[in-house]
Amino acid sequence: MRVRIQVITIALLFFGLALFAWIKPADAVSDSELRKLAQFPEISMDGILSGEFARQFDDYAVDQFPLREKFRSIKALTYTYVYGQLDNNGIYLQDGYAVKMEYPYDESSVNYAVDRINYIYDRYLADSQTKCYVSIIPDKNYYLASGHWALSMDYGKMIDDVRIGVKNCRYIDITDTLTIEDYYHTDTHWDQSSITGVAEKLAGEMGTPLDDDYEIHEVTEPFYGVYYGQAALPIEPDKMKYLTLPCFDKVIVNDLQNGKVIPIYDEGKMKTRSPYDLFLGGSLSLITIENEEALTDKELIVFRDSYASSLMPLLISGYKKITIVDIRYLPSERVGNFVEFSDQDVLFIYSTSVLNHSSPLK
Amino acid sequence: MLFSSIPFLFYFLPTVLILYFLAPKAAKNAVLLVASLFFYAYGEPVYVLLMLGAIIVGYVGGILIERFVGRDAKKMERSSASKVVLICAIALCLGMLGFFKYANFFVSNFAMMTGVPVQILDIALPIGISFYTFQIISYLIDVYRGSVPAQRNFIHLATYVALFAQLIAGPIVRYKDVASELKDRKSTWDGVLEGSRRFIIGLSKKILIANVLGELVDIFRNSTGETVLFYWIYALVFSLHLYFDFSGYSDMAIGIGRIFGFHFPENFNYPYISASVTEFWRRWHMTLGSWFRDYVYIPLGGNRVGKARWFVNILIVWMLTGFWHGADWNYILWGLLFAILLVIEKAGLLRVLEKVRFAGHIYVIFVVFVSFVIFNASGIEGMLSDFGGMFGMAGLPIINDETLYYVRSYTVVIGMALVGATPLPKFIAMKLRNGLIVFGGNKSGELVWSFFETVVIAALLLMCTAFLIDGSFNPFLYFRF
Repeated sequence: MRVRIQVITIALLFFGLALFAWIKPADAVSDSELRKLAQFPEISMDGILSGEFARQFDDYAVDQFPLREKFRSIKALTYTYVYGQLDNNGIYLQDGYAVKMEYPYDESSVNYAVDRINYIYDRYLADSQTKCYVSIIPDKNYYLASGHWALSMDYGKMIDDVRIGVKNCRYIDITDTLTIEDYYHTDTHWDQSSITGVAEKLAGEMGTPLDDDYEIHEVTEPFYGVYYGQAALPIEPDKMKYLTLPCFDKVIVNDLQNGKVIPIYDEGKMKTRSPYDLFLGGSLSLITIENEEALTDKELIVFRDSYASSLMPLLISGYKKITIVDIRYLPSERVGNFVEFSDQDVLFIYSTSVLNHSSPLK
Repeated sequence: MLFSSIPFLFYFLPTVLILYFLAPKAAKNAVLLVASLFFYAYGEPVYVLLMLGAIIVGYVGGILIERFVGRDAKKMERSSASKVVLICAIALCLGMLGFFKYANFFVSNFAMMTGVPVQILDIALPIGISFYTFQIISYLIDVYRGSVPAQRNFIHLATYVALFAQLIAGPIVRYKDVASELKDRKSTWDGVLEGSRRFIIGLSKKILIANVLGELVDIFRNSTGETVLFYWIYALVFSLHLYFDFSGYSDMAIGIGRIFGFHFPENFNYPYISASVTEFWRRWHMTLGSWFRDYVYIPLGGNRVGKARWFVNILIVWMLTGFWHGADWNYILWGLLFAILLVIEKAGLLRVLEKVRFAGHIYVIFVVFVSFVIFNASGIEGMLSDFGGMFGMAGLPIINDETLYYVRSYTVVIGMALVGATPLPKFIAMKLRNGLIVFGGNKSGELVWSFFETVVIAALLLMCTAFLIDGSFNPFLYFRF
């Protein structure tokens, strides 16, 4: 009888999980991983004979397994607290922050990024009256690696390689204006309410005054950043805040990619898979921000990655117009079709993560 | 299809178990055969035809051999016709294996030696071909020797060859070991519990240990910051990885077989506690070792020949053992290394090692490390590069931050693997069970133990599921052998 009870117990668990997997309706997306989940593959003779059906079914079975997030957490907790692994899927926890271990330093990637910047300079800026600046945004691993024994790329070499490689643009060091507290716990990005010092440093170096009469707004929805899902560890979500200035009422943001006017901040994005898109609409190839009440008549052209989405609103009080270009989506060769270079300030500002994986820069 | 995959665990296996236990006795083998063909065809549908061809060769060959052997089979008198059939059938099986597994090896070596440009063939190795080919050959030889009667029921023979439990990575089951169970077997509650326990333990060895160690192997292979210490850690980790991967698969195969009422042979017996290479090979991949002993070494004359011929026999057997594992020179060298060590041990070293067992353990661990570095190298060039790194001839630093990081990160799992590769966990479990019985009495002690065991099995199943869901690609190492 004892053996029968053991067999029946194990069978109940096993067949119960199987039955659950068979009948559970398929989910469309994984909110924690910010990606689409595999769906049941189309049945075709070609697919079956080529093995493609089996491969797609494997993905489907894993992606749609019931209690998937719970199981991912079990694995992450086992890895971290039983196996004593210092990272899980390349993400580690330190001081309450989920941090991606950026390692090793990819010199060829950074050289490629430098080449792209120099190409843009040579093609559009060399014969203009523009003033060129370059800056690097450190990722969280820059601040926390040593405390976790985590591997860390040679940030000093990266900064030197960019500073020396981008010969015609003045390097602005912002590392001294940031600490780990300025970043989200669950996301790669920085917290806009903590980077006014960065904006002041950049504007100051470019000779532009800024209005600092900020008002802080807190978004009610919790913010689960990209590392929250990847780490699959129990971390408290962040509170997302954004800053406004009196002049924002008159500021117009043009999304030139889609030909429409968009808000500076869109809280509706908090309910999407990419809440950080709250700032300037997220991943857009070309945006302009116009401010008739700017403190100067100067214009700024920024070549950027996603970090700049939250930074640019803090600079608009000093500039009549900011043009924001993302060459991950708009090839450098085509930038001249949309942007006229004359006497503006031009800022290249990229995060260490993008520089170390720069192949998307076009 | 992989055992360690969600489709197998939660779609295929439950379906097969339900159909199998609902089917009448006469249809059980048919259920297993259809399920096995589906299992095999799942990822590589075309090659199921190749396997069916091999089964037909074995089926027809066995019947013809028996027909031509003559009635007085027990006197070991064999007609030349039966020998011709045997040779033809084996040649057909080995021909298929040779073409799909070794053609490119021979073609590329021919091209290298002659300088004649030859097109490399675009053929993929059918999974499990080495295993099922050897099973069919052993069946044919056993029929020829009169050890077993030819199987006239095609479904029975096809089930023996294609049974998904052991089809793609062993153990290599002899027909005579399961002949009676193919015809008549019984699944008992005890057998199902034992099989389930064995399967989950094997699954855990694969997913919770081998796959995690495999991550470190991959990290090492992709690292640009190698050190001497990292090379040695790689040698240690790969040795453990291979053991847990392969023995885990064998455990799963034996466990599934047990659920269906089969008793498959053991394939591993704690090889890393060996004190000599001779002992190691009595504990590692036991079904392959005994296959080569019975079907190659002894027919060549074994040790009942002159010393020179005996030495040649050993070289042949171990060269073939290496070559069976892979079509490259490093596998042949790997086999020959063991041949030389076994000859040295038989020449006198074994007696010394038996007296100083501690030294024997150190010696075996060193040999295993070196041999598996050869085994996992990318050809001869890769092997030399790995040895250069291990023995400080590549100008690498002894240690760096990257090595230290991974040592810290993987210490626990390496420790778990080191302990798990010894009989210690089994010993502790037995002690615990006996302690419960002594402390709580026979009935209560067994009850507590059963509860504890069930909880552990359930927890391991859930953990394996969690690891599979979070993980991605995790092929078994022995699939392609």
